[in-house]
Amino acid sequence: MGWFCSVGMIAAAALWTPCQSVRAEVLFNRDIRPILAEHCFACHGPDDKTRQADLRLDLPESATAPRKAGQAAVTPGKPQASEMIRRMLSDDPGERMPPLEVAKRPTAAQIDLLQQWIAQGAPYEGHWAFIPPRRDIELPAVDGDDWPRNEVDRFILAKLRQEKLSPAPQADRTTLIRRASLDLTGLPPTLEEVDAFLNDSSADAYEKVVDRLLSSQAYGERMAVYWLDLARFADSDGYHDDTARSMWQYRDYVIQAFNRNKPFDRFTIEQLAGDQLPGATLEQKIASAFHRNGPTSSEGGADALEYAAKYAVDRVNTTAEVWLGVTMHCAECHDHKYDPFTTKEYYQLFAFFNQVPEDPLIRTVHAPPAIRTPTPEQQEQLTLLTHADEAAREALETALRTPREDWDAAQRAWETTFTAADVDVSTEEAKKDEKRQAMAAIAAVAPAERNQEQTLALRAYFREREIDEVKSLRAVYDAAAKARRDFENAIPMLRVMATVPEPRPTYILVRGDYRTHGEQVYPAVPAVLGRLPEGIEGDRLALATWLTAEDHPLTARVMVNRLWQLVFGVGIVKTAEDFGSRGDWPSHPELLDYLAVRFIESGWDVKAMMRLLVTSAAYRQDSSVSAELLKRDPQNRLLARGPRFRLAGEFIRDNALAISGLFDRDRPVGGPSVKPYQPGDLWREMSYGDSPDKSYIPSTGPDLYRRGLYTFWKRSIHYPSFAAFDAPNREVCTVTRPITNTPLQAFVTLNDVTFVEAARVFAQRILVEGGPTFDQRLDFAWRTAMARPPLEGERDAMRRLYETMHEHYAVDTDAALALLSAGESARDESLDPAQHAAWAAVCNAILNLDEVITKE
Amino acid sequence: MAGSDWRRAVGQGNSPTMKHNDPINLALTRRQFFGRMSTGIGSAALATLLGEAMAQRALGALPGAALTGYHHAPRAKRIIFLCMSGGPSQIDLLDPKPRLNQMSGQPMPESLTRGERVAQLQGQQLVCMGSRFKFRRHGQSGAEISELLPYTAHIVDDITIMRSMVTEAINHDPAVTFIQTGNQQPGRPTMGSWLSYGLGSVNRNLPAFVVLVSGTQRGQNLHTRYWGSGFLPSVHQGVQFRSSGDPVLFVSNPKGIDAAGRRRILDAIREVNLLKHEAVGDPEIATRIEQYEMAYRMQTSVPELMDTSGEPSSTFELYGEEAHQPGTFAANCLLARRLAERDVRFIQIYHRDWDHHGSLPEGIKLQCKQTDRGCYALITDLKQRGLLDDTIVIWAGEFGRTPMAQGSTSLDNYGRDHHMKTFAGWIAGGGFKAGAIVGETDEFGYDVVKDPVHVHDLHATILHQLGIDHRKLTYRFQGRDFRLTDVHGNVLGGLLG
Repeated sequence: MGWFCSVGMIAAAALWTPCQSVRAEVLFNRDIRPILAEHCFACHGPDDKTRQADLRLDLPESATAPRKAGQAAVTPGKPQASEMIRRMLSDDPGERMPPLEVAKRPTAAQIDLLQQWIAQGAPYEGHWAFIPPRRDIELPAVDGDDWPRNEVDRFILAKLRQEKLSPAPQADRTTLIRRASLDLTGLPPTLEEVDAFLNDSSADAYEKVVDRLLSSQAYGERMAVYWLDLARFADSDGYHDDTARSMWQYRDYVIQAFNRNKPFDRFTIEQLAGDQLPGATLEQKIASAFHRNGPTSSEGGADALEYAAKYAVDRVNTTAEVWLGVTMHCAECHDHKYDPFTTKEYYQLFAFFNQVPEDPLIRTVHAPPAIRTPTPEQQEQLTLLTHADEAAREALETALRTPREDWDAAQRAWETTFTAADVDVSTEEAKKDEKRQAMAAIAAVAPAERNQEQTLALRAYFREREIDEVKSLRAVYDAAAKARRDFENAIPMLRVMATVPEPRPTYILVRGDYRTHGEQVYPAVPAVLGRLPEGIEGDRLALATWLTAEDHPLTARVMVNRLWQLVFGVGIVKTAEDFGSRGDWPSHPELLDYLAVRFIESGWDVKAMMRLLVTSAAYRQDSSVSAELLKRDPQNRLLARGPRFRLAGEFIRDNALAISGLFDRDRPVGGPSVKPYQPGDLWREMSYGDSPDKSYIPSTGPDLYRRGLYTFWKRSIHYPSFAAFDAPNREVCTVTRPITNTPLQAFVTLNDVTFVEAARVFAQRILVEGGPTFDQRLDFAWRTAMARPPLEGERDAMRRLYETMHEHYAVDTDAALALLSAGESARDESLDPAQHAAWAAVCNAILNLDEVITKE
Repeated sequence: MAGSDWRRAVGQGNSPTMKHNDPINLALTRRQFFGRMSTGIGSAALATLLGEAMAQRALGALPGAALTGYHHAPRAKRIIFLCMSGGPSQIDLLDPKPRLNQMSGQPMPESLTRGERVAQLQGQQLVCMGSRFKFRRHGQSGAEISELLPYTAHIVDDITIMRSMVTEAINHDPAVTFIQTGNQQPGRPTMGSWLSYGLGSVNRNLPAFVVLVSGTQRGQNLHTRYWGSGFLPSVHQGVQFRSSGDPVLFVSNPKGIDAAGRRRILDAIREVNLLKHEAVGDPEIATRIEQYEMAYRMQTSVPELMDTSGEPSSTFELYGEEAHQPGTFAANCLLARRLAERDVRFIQIYHRDWDHHGSLPEGIKLQCKQTDRGCYALITDLKQRGLLDDTIVIWAGEFGRTPMAQGSTSLDNYGRDHHMKTFAGWIAGGGFKAGAIVGETDEFGYDVVKDPVHVHDLHATILHQLGIDHRKLTYRFQGRDFRLTDVHGNVLGGLLG
């Protein structure tokens, strides 16, 4: 089969990739590199240990070099004279490439693309993501179309036109405010907020909503949920018996960083190297806990060196994943097969992270290095106590030292009777009192012959025992010191990063084996991505500074892509966790670069970027989809409609709590983790040993209803309702949570006491606040849960449900009361149980509606 | 009476309960199906959960699986993995070592141990420790089995003893993670989730991957990671069926909502969701409607599965009276048979407390007493029902124990440390050999001298029996095509019948 038929094949291929129209030109990075990476680089790529026939297809010099056996692998302009193509098409099992024993074969369409590329002259390009974003991107012309509201829309519209699609109309206002509220705060809008927006006829009513949401404290909580997945933040150690740890101050740091809109470059530097900043503040040290979040072990019989290496590996992999958006872990054991990262470069990164003075087999909650983390109020109080302590000590010391005639006279008299032994204690016992011995020795020396030190020592000894005024100063000092100590000891501690005084040598660990040292290496960054500035010490601070340099190819792109993913569901680069050569080609490459550059130029302003995205016309579109568009663009990468997808587990719970009113919206953000309801004693069933912390003891009162991000995150036994909704156990850095759809999720929202209690408390709220009639009450319920009033069909369904359930509960009061006893919160006993229970059943249905658990 | 009226109303079907011949529903399901396929998310999820017939029409032999077909004809359909958590002592159970017994109390030859890893014996003198338990030949095959396993002795002709198993991890957590996922680091999918992903589910009322747990808190703790799906969608993770409380978390209706009330609520949810689907066209809504129906069916199928009261007395004569008591190994073995009958793809039983660093004789007796009969009963039961032919049963710990003593060297209360260079287990059914012994260790039981069964090889071989080429069941994550066997694994023909 020749390459002439390739146009047809490509057209067919284009049907499967709606983001790419029929291609006039084959692009190396978009079309060719992924094929070579998939099928060829394992033997003909960057890894020189597995390279065959001394051929590299990732480098043009090697690919086009004449071969002794015949023609070059790639002969630009001549697919027929290219050995690579001949081998791929060969029927001879001895010649065929990839070799027959390789399970995966390139498709005919892929081989055609390769031929077309060679015919075009086989132009190579560096991998796009490793080249700094272009700063000269021009905004696409949209001549006269008034759809675009901001720059984002011009890129989106240009692409839609290219694809012969048009944008959807704007979503209605109730949908919009709910969408923005869920995206920016993870909570539904209140009725008052909805009404205010509906009644605001000003042109920037929506922007005002967005600004309100961005400045709310809930914004930081919402953003933290996503960041904590990246930071593999958890409340337990992970390995072995998964002991509890206490890291919540780091979570508070993240929440506040987003709320105060800390520039992303500062956010980066503080988390990677806050402890290494000159004059590091408490906040910066807390931030450095980022790299104390990884799993640790305390297993008896574990090898400390092995675990020290595991921790450094976790830090390298996490750093690469979070800021570079690439996977480094392959290079732990061998040169990367398709990305240009060598094992040596892996251990050069490792060298930044194996310098922590920690005991790898940690056995305490606050495994060192750890610091106390006072709040500003606590710090103030501590300062006062410290001053009091110091003042008392000074008063005492003065009283012990300063000559004073009456006391000195008393001392002279005392010295005459003072001996090594008290009359009333035995000599043996007195000998044990070394201090007394020493003092008696001084007393035996004539006062004039004593040196200064002796004089002071004896004076202090005397006054402390014999002078009442001094005795009370001592008591004051002891009390002050104790007060300070007690207060300080009650201040929470946190594991943080620190650096060993003398750098540890780092060696390549051959095949990742911690016992087999290879060449010694020094801190450095992967060559393909640049280099550390000259003359700078190779520490974490240097690494973080390099990551946030304005011309860094990845950091800004990776971050804006994730922000995009948060609101639109799929990133511009769909593989948000992989910007390497096997990552997906961006749906809008120029837009990605535009956003990255804009992000950097704005001073890494995260809120501004979020605002730009959610105020775009693209974001504001209606999210309904026709069968035709669904087929054309199932993942909505072209954005011919608004985003619509299920909420994360934490937000599904937050929503139920907020809708029911169980959740206190005014509660200050932050604080230690809490333990909401969990059935049975899941911890105990699976734990090792019998100590009290092996049991799950639920919180009480308002702590039962805190937002999901405060839920105690035990890695080995994950909070079940979050686990059901795809929350990761946070043993490793997670970039993208899958969004699955399973019956176990239905069980959670139908039957978990959290949701049943929310339903009956919501019902109570409806009966109290929703008005006297069924219709008014249902309106209230619908608007509280979904911001909009019910449609007629919905009203009918709910009325039928209400009536049958009411009929049932009217005759079965026990059942009604049983349902109304779910959870710990008090029931309003003035309400008729049958009515209340029937509404609780309706609310149970409402909290399970697709729309209620979906951002649409 | 009003109360019974609404119950009847449900029964009469005038509520919009889903029916499979309902044309709207069928169209919906189909749309949802193709929608899911084209998005690429959860096509296997679908498999696990969608109506069986529907999915089979669409995909052929493998309903909703990531694989479009078997790589070769499968010999087995399902797996029961009896995970002996903590690491049972092969020296005292399955790998008799007369020479070690003779040398008991004397130093271990340094030629064997120099430079090799140990766990809690770090820095200590290594002393040979024979077994206090007697081994005898059993069955036609004449396999030698410890007196600790009198019941297992009855099934030696149905199983293959693997005396040369090899792992790469010496601590519990990484070792369990390794035998389950093929990698010591957390984050990879377990074998069960790979199968759920690759082959989908046959049963439309139960998950494809079910986990049962027995043993006590004296044993090493368990992590949900041991049945987690790693980077695969969470629909493929194992679902724990618990012996107390809800058998599946939240499967029971809350107090005050009975089955009829639940149906009524589900009908209302469905009605509103259908309206939504009509209005916005999102295929996820259709999938959700299906999931709620599956949840409803599970509310029946799970309790029905767990309720063994209808089993004939012969069942309990086989499994023992302990099988009446939920949460025992025997009861879990019986459940495993019931799950196998229902075509659940992967059934995993964890039994804890095999970590005998000290007082091994006493500890191992207790563990054997708790597990031996269940193993025998399960194999016998599967065999008499014709299920053993296409069910693979594996018995193994995460590693073995040292031929060296830990703590006391007295035959009454010696202990053994973790050992990764060799351990022993057995495998049966699904086309594996029966009545055979595979592999051999040196006379001290320290290292494998013949036919090693590396964990990667075991994985490859098991997948092979299920019709899967272990090199071809892959999942692209972070740019890499991952597989259960990583870049390793060979199918071990020597294990196969």
